[in-house]
Amino acid sequence: MKNDVLIVDDDRSVIRTVKRILTRAGLNVYVAESGEECLNHLEKGFQGLILMDIIMPEMDGWDTIDEIVKRGLMKDIIICMLTGKDEPGERMESLKEYVIDYIRKPFNMETLVDVVKNYLSYLK
Amino acid sequence: MSVNTITIIGSSAGGPRILKEIFKELPVLNGAIVLIQHMPEFINIPFCESLDQLTDMKVKIAEDWESLNSGVVYIAPSGRHLLIHRNRQIRLVKGEKYHHVCPSIDVTMKSLTPQGGIRHIGIVLTGMGNDGAEGIKHIKNVGGITIAQDEETSIIYGMPKEARLTGCVDMILNPGQIREQLVNLMNLQ
Repeated sequence: MKNDVLIVDDDRSVIRTVKRILTRAGLNVYVAESGEECLNHLEKGFQGLILMDIIMPEMDGWDTIDEIVKRGLMKDIIICMLTGKDEPGERMESLKEYVIDYIRKPFNMETLVDVVKNYLSYLK
Repeated sequence: MSVNTITIIGSSAGGPRILKEIFKELPVLNGAIVLIQHMPEFINIPFCESLDQLTDMKVKIAEDWESLNSGVVYIAPSGRHLLIHRNRQIRLVKGEKYHHVCPSIDVTMKSLTPQGGIRHIGIVLTGMGNDGAEGIKHIKNVGGITIAQDEETSIIYGMPKEARLTGCVDMILNPGQIREQLVNLMNLQ
């Protein structure tokens, strides 16, 4: 749990890059290519840090968080948005308390690892 | 025993990263700091422990009816609003979310009352939305000092921007400068 990261992104090149960086940093990386896949991981008991893309087809990052909350899966997970979008819009206001941080794309490798490890350290 | 300075720091998304910069090697200051960070409840304690390792100040989760003491950082626990009762004690109150959050920065800041000899400082850091803006206005109105994080270093420039737009922010600073101002304004103990 303390080393587990779930990348939720529909862009396979982003997944590849982030996975490589975090795996090299000694972390266990899981992948979901959609919001639905993310929910499946959580239903199966994933606990750890989620790096969530905002813009995804069908169920976007905010829809996914909304569903996580509705299904009562917001337990022992920390959500950090991994996004190229400049500003979260008003629609996301009601979900903001579930998001601990934002990492902007393109990201700096060291920043990504530092931020991820810092939040993982909160998980016992 | 009462404190002579009460500083309220409010932060949301990206806050833990910024707070790490502000609290790193922060010496014991003359006054109490109350920290409102929007976060899931289960990380309250590890977040508190991680900040405690960074500073010489004592960092703890706030408790209901606890007296404010100098040299202590009080973290608002998730799920309850934190009010400052008569500038002396902490009250933790179950209540409706305000600006979609509980605890709300505004609720805490607006509970401060003008009182001779006690200085108030309000700081709004990175975060989405407008929590903290009303609080900053209130702190200015009761004679306090107000600070907002600058756009460049804010992970999300929502709350600091809304605070700035009230016209009641005295200083717009980066985390290093906020740390310096805390030391200057709260003096070393």
